[in-house]
Amino acid sequence: MFQADPKNFRELRTTNRPDIILRMTRNDDTGEMFVGSSDAKVYQVDPMVEQPEFVPMEGHTSYVMGLVDTGKYIVSGSYDKSLIWWNKETKEQVRRIEMAHDRWIRNLTVTPDHKFVLSVADDMVCKIWDAETGDLVRTLDSHIKVTEHGFPNMLYAVAVSPDGKLVATVDRIAKIKIWDFKTGEEIKELEAPKCYTWDPKARIHSIGGIRSVTFSPDSTKVAVGGIGQIGNVDHLAAAGRVELFDVASGDKIHMFEGDDKHKGLVEQIIFHPSGKWLIAVGGDHGGWVQFMDVEKKEVIKQLKAPMHVHQMVLTSDFKTAFGVGHNRLAVWSFEAEAPVEEKTEEAAG
Amino acid sequence: MSVNSDRRRFLGGAAAAGVAASSMNLDILKAESLSNELKKSGKRVLLLWLAGGASQLETWDPKPGRLTGGPYQAIQTSLPGVQISELMPKMATRLHNTAIIRSLNTQIGDHGGGARLMHLGRRDEPNLTYPDMGSVLARELGRSDLQVPDYVSFYTATEGRGNAVGQPGFLGARYAPMFLTTDNKPANLSRLEDITDLDHKERADLRQMLSNRFAKGRVSESLGSHNVAYGRVRGLMSSEKLFDLSEEPQKVKDRYGNSLFAQQALVARRLIEAGTPFVKVARAWWDSHGQNFETHLEMVTELDHVMSTLLEDLEERGLLEDTLVVTLAEFGRTPTINASLGRDHFARAWSASLTGCGIKGGTVFGATDEDGQHVKDNEIGAAEMFATIYKAVGIDPHHEYFVGSRPIPLVDPGTHAVEEVLA
Repeated sequence: MFQADPKNFRELRTTNRPDIILRMTRNDDTGEMFVGSSDAKVYQVDPMVEQPEFVPMEGHTSYVMGLVDTGKYIVSGSYDKSLIWWNKETKEQVRRIEMAHDRWIRNLTVTPDHKFVLSVADDMVCKIWDAETGDLVRTLDSHIKVTEHGFPNMLYAVAVSPDGKLVATVDRIAKIKIWDFKTGEEIKELEAPKCYTWDPKARIHSIGGIRSVTFSPDSTKVAVGGIGQIGNVDHLAAAGRVELFDVASGDKIHMFEGDDKHKGLVEQIIFHPSGKWLIAVGGDHGGWVQFMDVEKKEVIKQLKAPMHVHQMVLTSDFKTAFGVGHNRLAVWSFEAEAPVEEKTEEAAG
Repeated sequence: MSVNSDRRRFLGGAAAAGVAASSMNLDILKAESLSNELKKSGKRVLLLWLAGGASQLETWDPKPGRLTGGPYQAIQTSLPGVQISELMPKMATRLHNTAIIRSLNTQIGDHGGGARLMHLGRRDEPNLTYPDMGSVLARELGRSDLQVPDYVSFYTATEGRGNAVGQPGFLGARYAPMFLTTDNKPANLSRLEDITDLDHKERADLRQMLSNRFAKGRVSESLGSHNVAYGRVRGLMSSEKLFDLSEEPQKVKDRYGNSLFAQQALVARRLIEAGTPFVKVARAWWDSHGQNFETHLEMVTELDHVMSTLLEDLEERGLLEDTLVVTLAEFGRTPTINASLGRDHFARAWSASLTGCGIKGGTVFGATDEDGQHVKDNEIGAAEMFATIYKAVGIDPHHEYFVGSRPIPLVDPGTHAVEEVLA
């Protein structure tokens, strides 16, 4: 278990789609997978079958930007500002919170015990919801709503530490807030300013922001992902960037950056359970998967993905990875390819 | 020092253009403008130039529920049955003075070519330099009795500035823009401190006397343009206060906001109020090949606030009836969303808006198909757009200038204004 070796990581199969698949969730016990789409639908799908069937669940009216499995329900959040609790069996809506946020919902996560769902939106508030009842439990609210240049700030991602004690939220201007989950108190603010490019002269607007955040398995480190400084903000014209911080001290441990062949946003970061290395996925017009060694502090492998990858999930045994993104689903394997048997004259018979 | 924004460069440009006009043997400077009555009517045009190409889908022509529509929803406006992007909540409440045109097909999808087309209203011709919209309007609407510039153009961002055509062409340098690029005030417009006003006036008189002596017995349009340009210097100098926002009440400045675009819109209102017939405020740069939705969240939010504030301000001051406010760009953006969540250049089916003077407010002209890929109703091009702008402020778009003996209509022959949006 967990003996995955990045060297063996390879693409197994892809499924084409007309839409952009933005989010996914997979129950490792049952193998059930749900994805969220730019066509406003949630789909159940099994990408391992020859011709995957996408079973639609309709209720949102815009991009599905957050999708979590609470065990009992699927919960989705959207640019339409609503949250929907879905019955996994019947695919029917169990609960709908119409104006869960005042502005566009950007992402969701669920606590390790599956008791709470957290949502972040461009109202710059993180809301903690009871996963069973849908009651609002707590709000985390201190990200600034308007940038110093007068533009709307955006709250992109949220993570809960594996020990369930901490929450991290990240925004457009590259601020990272660490919160006490139980009290809702803001513990610390970190920043990764290289992830936010403000162009004051040529184009007079910005690009970037921190798009992904996750804690290390021992909850002592937090990794954030985005893109480096960009000269021409018309394009995602810089390498993807991951910054790793020590939560207790707030010190930056390291900054990982891919090469020029792997430009774009880091859309998601996943730690290997050992905490020794992590995976970053994302892209620009193309997509990529990168592996970063936390101990050696170096990028150890980069490979092209068949699409800009918006999210990835792995099986708990770290043998298989599933990714969703622009017009595609993809499946990768960590298992070494079986050596091709050489045919003997007898076998060829 | 800003490019072309100071008085000396303005005059230098006037002289150079005058020589150029002379070499082409143009007699346009002898031609009368359309009507002194029109000039007296006080019609003005304020162009909000969305440089780089704003997305029609995130502004005037949303496609909610379609894969091309992007994540933002459409919201109901003050016009029954008409929706615009939810990024424009303020404009949505005040479309009663505005006409939306959703059926522009201008065909040119590169920045330079598209910008030239949408500044000139026609394609270039090898042997003739056409004036841009601002120069035509400066000539037709400008009043020599007002000591204000006729054509002021703001373009502060550096990207795409070279595409922001400001050329008087065969009209001559008298109608060249005052082009502001680094500051909201023209550089070097003030009289030098070590020269008294009397000195300045006497120097101007001396220059005029020498010029008249030189011109005696000579027939040259370029000399005429040269002298007219110099003759306006003292008027332009006296207009300096129009660019000074410290003279504006704080509550008005607060209402517009602190962004550069907002401040330039406020200066534009001051110029319009003082009688400047054409002001262009360029807001660059909308070229969102990557992250279209984040870029438009920033820039449409700003546009919505600045434009709605500007229109309210003009209306409250009783100026909107005589002021046409236009939003225009070199093109729109592709309905198809690329993998960087961007939109690319798209000239085949895009939108513009016209508000105020001469416009039948609350109208929507033209339509695109359900994905926004093609115009399905009432397609128009740049020439029709220009004809509509000219006609809205009382200018006959079929009026002809003469370059030598060649008649040059204001817009391409056979082109008609969009009567459906005209009051």
